[in-house]
Amino acid sequence: MPATVSRIRPRTRRIAVAAIPFLLLAACSSGGSKVGSGTTSPGGATSPTTATASLAGQCPNGAVAQSSQQPIQITLWHSMTQANLKTLVTLTDQFNASHPDIHVNLVNQTSYIDTLTKYKATLGGGARPDLVQIQDVDQQLMIDTKSVLPVQACFEAKHLDTSDFVPRAISYYTVRGVDYSIPFAMSNPVLYYNKAAFQKAGLDPNKPPKTLDELRQDAQQIVSSGADKYGIALKNDPWHLEEWSAMAGALYANNGNGRDKRATAVEFGGATGQQIYSWISGMARDKLAESTTSNGFDNLFAVANKVAAMTIDTSAALGTIFDVLGSGQYKDIQLGVAPLPGPVAGGPTIQAGSSLFVISGTSPAREEAAFTFAEWLSEGPQQAVWSAGTGYVPVRTSATTQPVLQQAWTARPQLRIAYDQILSGANTQAAQGPVIGDMEGVRTAVENAETSLFQGADPTSTMQKLVSSANSVISDYESRVS
Amino acid sequence: MPARKRRATAVRAVHYGVLVLLAAVVLFPIYITVVNSLLTPEAIGHRPPSLFPTHPHGSGYVSAFRSGHLAIYLRNSILVAVAITVGQLVTSVLAGYAFALLRFPFRNALFVVFLATLMVPYEATIITNTHTVTNFGWINKYPALIVPFLATGLGTFLLRQAFLGVPRELHDAARLDGYGHWRFLTRVAVPLARPAVAALAVFSFLGAWNQYLWPLLVTNTDRVRTVQIGLRQLEGTSIQQINVTFAGTVIAAFPIFLLLVLFQKQLVRGLTAGAVKG
Amino acid sequence: MSRTTAQSRRREAALGYAFIAPALLLFGVFVFYPMVKTVQLGFFRVPPFPGLPNKPVGFRQYRQVLGSHDFRDSLKVTVLFGLYTVPAGIILGTGMALLAHQKLRGIGVFRTIFSSTVATSVAVASVIFFTLLNPQVGLLSYWLGKVGGNGILQDPTWALPAVAAVTVWQNLGFTFILMSAALQSVPDELLEAARVDGASAWRRLRSVTLPLLSPTLLFATVIGGIAAFQAFGQIDLLTQGGPINHTRVLTYYLYQEAFLRNNDGVASVLAVALFVITLVLTLVQLRLLERRVFYAR
Repeated sequence: MPATVSRIRPRTRRIAVAAIPFLLLAACSSGGSKVGSGTTSPGGATSPTTATASLAGQCPNGAVAQSSQQPIQITLWHSMTQANLKTLVTLTDQFNASHPDIHVNLVNQTSYIDTLTKYKATLGGGARPDLVQIQDVDQQLMIDTKSVLPVQACFEAKHLDTSDFVPRAISYYTVRGVDYSIPFAMSNPVLYYNKAAFQKAGLDPNKPPKTLDELRQDAQQIVSSGADKYGIALKNDPWHLEEWSAMAGALYANNGNGRDKRATAVEFGGATGQQIYSWISGMARDKLAESTTSNGFDNLFAVANKVAAMTIDTSAALGTIFDVLGSGQYKDIQLGVAPLPGPVAGGPTIQAGSSLFVISGTSPAREEAAFTFAEWLSEGPQQAVWSAGTGYVPVRTSATTQPVLQQAWTARPQLRIAYDQILSGANTQAAQGPVIGDMEGVRTAVENAETSLFQGADPTSTMQKLVSSANSVISDYESRVS
Repeated sequence: MPARKRRATAVRAVHYGVLVLLAAVVLFPIYITVVNSLLTPEAIGHRPPSLFPTHPHGSGYVSAFRSGHLAIYLRNSILVAVAITVGQLVTSVLAGYAFALLRFPFRNALFVVFLATLMVPYEATIITNTHTVTNFGWINKYPALIVPFLATGLGTFLLRQAFLGVPRELHDAARLDGYGHWRFLTRVAVPLARPAVAALAVFSFLGAWNQYLWPLLVTNTDRVRTVQIGLRQLEGTSIQQINVTFAGTVIAAFPIFLLLVLFQKQLVRGLTAGAVKG
Repeated sequence: MSRTTAQSRRREAALGYAFIAPALLLFGVFVFYPMVKTVQLGFFRVPPFPGLPNKPVGFRQYRQVLGSHDFRDSLKVTVLFGLYTVPAGIILGTGMALLAHQKLRGIGVFRTIFSSTVATSVAVASVIFFTLLNPQVGLLSYWLGKVGGNGILQDPTWALPAVAAVTVWQNLGFTFILMSAALQSVPDELLEAARVDGASAWRRLRSVTLPLLSPTLLFATVIGGIAAFQAFGQIDLLTQGGPINHTRVLTYYLYQEAFLRNNDGVASVLAVALFVITLVLTLVQLRLLERRVFYAR
């Protein structure tokens, strides 16, 4: 392994126990966000100054300027396609033009899972990228590879302003006090519904359900009135358990959702989790909800084909939805978009999406160049362009002042809903979301459990089995990584 | 007399009926695939379904070749299958000849070793082999797809059988004529064993063409992807382009179909080698 | 004289070794070395990504994996898959061969049709049926009345039988060719003699044809059984082991652990288990059926 990696390793371990100076900085300057409220402060024993100093020292600040090779060539491995890819290319070209000392090359790995698989392969030998776009839930795995430079180091070394980051976005990617990656593409699950179907069922199309109970009532009315066959098409998504637990204030994993210390077990099996599973089971049993597969957009087609009146999916699908609806193939569908209903009204949601990791061990100049590009992408003006072109939600609040985004949101106000949702509600540890090394494995177990529910399995025993599967997945990973 | 004739006719009718039924079961998926490959996606989704292409469209095939990259995949499959076939023929002929007609210490034990490879399922070796191939730097290159399969225990067994059938007299006569082993092998033995060689060739080609898991593991770029993995990519195609998927399967199956038609005898011999007595 | 004989013998031996060397080298690298390495890897916990060291854990991993629910369930699925595919395939293939072995008009056409699935690979057959079973636009879904929602391949009860049916269909061509070739070798005189003796068609089948077919039937059963334990492509293309692992045969479980979860240690244990199982299967089948096989003299 390159010498620079071993240089970082012992220090990262020390940092892991540090306080959250960075977050406190952000909390003090940003308006309205309640960072730290409801958060169990981790230890806080080590003095912030020491931690800050040692972190900043890791950033190869100034390496690009000192480098003899200009421009510094770096690669970004991403998984964007179609419209998102076009916007990324536009932004990259803009960066390359305005930064003569750095040249970014884009490499498209087409999917999150392909990107991660290929990245893991490089750890055994092979050319590494300088910047990788990684799915949110894979961050603990990336951290465990010990091949990344925590972006916090460079934020501090360069004294950059991070106060306008969306609080839950930056909190999500801050693990045990250290921000390892920069939020890049963000979305949130929202409720999509057919206003025409609501009207037909005698429901107010401008009053979509806010709680799971209301959702059930509305679904019942839709089915009874014959407006549609099902009230809601429920895509088999591990999000259900994650988001609804967070919205009710329940932790998903132990040790502060894996943010105080490494998560060693799940905690979603408590009262809230049981309620959620009883609700799902009830909806399935009473045929108010139809289950659709976890990949693809069968659930959206179910609404478009008037099989169901509602569905839940990522806000990032809005672009595709507008395209499909605009084609005229699905007349008399009136699209409604609403915040995600939950166990209680107005509970905070967990952010979703992907972040950019700076890969260490390449060269100081390339590390700094990679950070520069990633940080630039996250800045207000760029995030405004990114959001407007993709339908993702900006990760910095300052983006909302940019005309390009304001115009996009005026033309299509539905695009705002996920953004307002991710800004509303407290920045609790529950809402920051779980940090689990093998989150993919846990999600597979959750998907299987929800499939069982739709097959008629009893919610209590399903939840019990799920908890034990998830725990064995976690302990398996922990034993392999330590 | 008429009663027996009537029964015979009835039996024959039932016989034909069952044959037709079975033929329908076998042929139906293939028929639907070919038909749908020539329809537009809207026509495919039409209910009741159209079972005959009244207005055949070639667009599925065009898309399959272009955006579906099937031309590249076909090229790769052909290249790899031919290379493996040639390799297996060479190693099997050489080893089969050695085991049949050459004498060397531990010959029988070594032959058992060759046969032992038939007892090892691919699962027992695939994990390590991917590591080996990665270490050689062959990932996403043709050697990864070809080299591990250049030798075969079954091929050696078959050729040994064939060479054992070469009459002793021929061998002695050739020796008297001053034929070395190499000349005997190439000028006499191989031509005599031509049926076995042809059968092995067809069998090897078929096996190499149909490989699935190994190409999946050692390739992840279109440049070296084979047609079977290409189908896997195609399967993910949206419902809006199902005719492309169907066209892709026709394209992937067509070369083997051609093989079946042209080399039916050799194919049968290859498939039944060792199975049927006599 | 003796020296030249010794010399020539040495040259022959050298030639012999030279001829088998390429194959032997390839076997060494790609068959025997991996086998040993796989057994060895089972004694290590492998990290989720390269770069960290393997942890030696002795027999613990073997015990854990082989005693786990996941392994037992996967083994059950694989056995079930074999039970669904092998008897059905052989009965259908033999039946087709018998029916097509008659001298009827146009029988050649039927013979060609029955062999045709030999042209389909596992991928071709699986992609065809995956599309036909698509819940939205699949023709088979439409005819079986399972349109919309989740299709047959997502139904925990019917997913495995569906995958088995696709496998049987795809293998029909091969089984038919095999059994037809075997039928060819049944001497007509024997059947003629039996007919003259007054034996009915059924009797002839049972007492003459089937016993003479038994070596090939044995071969087909052995091959079919082993193939069931090696099936992969159709699972990957049709169900990816789901729903809820109801089609997760051992090879797919191995693939998931080794190549999706980087869990080489666990996957190696599965590989060893598969090797032992297929070996035992082959030996047992050979021994059991060989007793009942009638070899024509």
